[in-house]
Amino acid sequence: MTGYVVRRLLQLLPVLLAASLGIWAMIYAVPGGPVASILGENATPEQVRELTARLGLDRPVLVQYWSWLVSALSGDLGRSLHTRDPVLHLIMQRVPATLQLGLCATLVGLVLGIPVAIASAIWPGSWLDRALSGWSALALGVPTFWLGILLILLFSVELRWLPSASSYVPFLESPWQAFRNTLMPALTLGTYVSGIFARFLRASLLGELKADYVRTARAKGLRERDVVGRHVMRNALLPFVTVVGLMLATFIGGTVVTEAVFTYPGLGRLLIQAIGSRDYPLIQGCILFVLVIYVLMNVLVDVLYAYIDPRIEYS
Amino acid sequence: MTSRRARRRIETARRVLAHPGALASTLFLVLTVSLAFLAPWVLPIDPLHQELSASLEPPSAQYWFGADELGRDLLARVVYGARTSLVTAGGAVAIAALVGIPIGLVAGFFGGWRDAVLMRFIDVLLALPNILFAMALIAVLGRSQLAALVAVGITGVPSFARITRAQVLSLRQRDFVLAVEALGGSSSYTMFTTVLPNSLSPILVQVVVLSSVAILLEAALSFLGVGIPPPTPSWGDLLRTGKSFLYEAPTYAVLPGIALTLTILSLDTLGRTLAAVLEDRREVAAVPGREEGRT
Repeated sequence: MTGYVVRRLLQLLPVLLAASLGIWAMIYAVPGGPVASILGENATPEQVRELTARLGLDRPVLVQYWSWLVSALSGDLGRSLHTRDPVLHLIMQRVPATLQLGLCATLVGLVLGIPVAIASAIWPGSWLDRALSGWSALALGVPTFWLGILLILLFSVELRWLPSASSYVPFLESPWQAFRNTLMPALTLGTYVSGIFARFLRASLLGELKADYVRTARAKGLRERDVVGRHVMRNALLPFVTVVGLMLATFIGGTVVTEAVFTYPGLGRLLIQAIGSRDYPLIQGCILFVLVIYVLMNVLVDVLYAYIDPRIEYS
Repeated sequence: MTSRRARRRIETARRVLAHPGALASTLFLVLTVSLAFLAPWVLPIDPLHQELSASLEPPSAQYWFGADELGRDLLARVVYGARTSLVTAGGAVAIAALVGIPIGLVAGFFGGWRDAVLMRFIDVLLALPNILFAMALIAVLGRSQLAALVAVGITGVPSFARITRAQVLSLRQRDFVLAVEALGGSSSYTMFTTVLPNSLSPILVQVVVLSSVAILLEAALSFLGVGIPPPTPSWGDLLRTGKSFLYEAPTYAVLPGIALTLTILSLDTLGRTLAAVLEDRREVAAVPGREEGRT
């Protein structure tokens, strides 16, 4: 088991190195180079020379990458060009907001998705199955940003129940305010996720229902409720855990679009603002942060899957 | 030979269109595409013409979809926005296919170090969620329609590469491929004339699926304000500006969204029906005794 985890992490190394090289090189690919975009057009040659030296851009390229990587590994992602705050600090400020939204959306997805999957898997091909499959297709097809807009029109403009711009309120601090502010973003994102969950779990359940042990369980006279609830569900949920985990990984990487709809102050909005103001260290920091988390979460999901399903070999 | 292939294509198309959902989707897509490209003749309204006195006017006989904050006709902007969306998505899918298919072909056909290197490269592309990858690329390339097209296209490369590779792997040791090689066919000859033509079904499905993903991704980028720069009308940008006027003009953000959603749903439906029909056909075509060749 430990060997498997170590091996998976070692396999990641070249991918992470290549990706980090790409992120680091980003700033050099910017038209005009980083110095010009920081100083603007009216910089004197002395200023350019001074900043080039200060940023260490006059050193050999490999030395520059190495020192960038070493400081990044020790948590120093540089400072924002605008606020001068440490990039990691700015990122960490936004993480709880994105995390809370991601978890709530996953919860909504599970609550909406699992019953849909079970109902359509028990009666495959029925009118209910077709209606529910249509609902899943709709949940997957409607762009989240448009669904968000429709929800705002209904709940904020028409009914005036909820604020149209959501702010981040930690759940433990004020559950009611947190609920009011997170409901619409979580519904928006959760509806989409429920489509993924429902479609996947339905296929997984249908596959299990064909298995021999189901025939045996039915033959010995077990009630259908027990066949599905006790035997089939447990086996079908195994691969489903992977899907939920991967969804969470994506969410930690940012719920960019949903955050933009509701002007929700998460990691995604930080990145959008950074791109808008050409704050390159902040852009690089955000992307590197998401990359590492996303890749590690993917490995974690694999390991977890191997752990809960003894049939999977670690090799 | 060619006529048999043509007949099989017609048969596939006929069976796809036998599904009411797929038929409706196809009709809608045909309508959207023709409206988008024939717009200057069908709808002689300039999407950039401003009429400030008509600012945020609700839908009326003169402005069917209403007018935007600068008094530009929203129907014209939705129709011309379709053109932007379709061109960007089409270009993106073309890039994804032109880069991804050869990668998958070479990786699957030769295996060994080529496979290892190419697939690690694909892993790097997959190390970020699509939208973030596209945003990072646009941060470098600068904001333009071409940048959006390239960024969306590159995020589509892994799916083409992986599907082609899987398909090639399942064909690689089949008798007819080995026969072409034994008869002296060069690697590139075997790849392009024997392996590739037999891998096209899943690739075709992928083209449809990815078109829908590309339209959605481009619209999302424009909605975030990093996609296609104004004043070029695009669905994502219309939703972005429309969102600022939800109280004054609710229909502004609703109507472009309907066009976008229907397009995506149509492509999804078509893709899934096509996949089902092709899958079905392959099962029927598999003569008993012959190996299945699906991994």
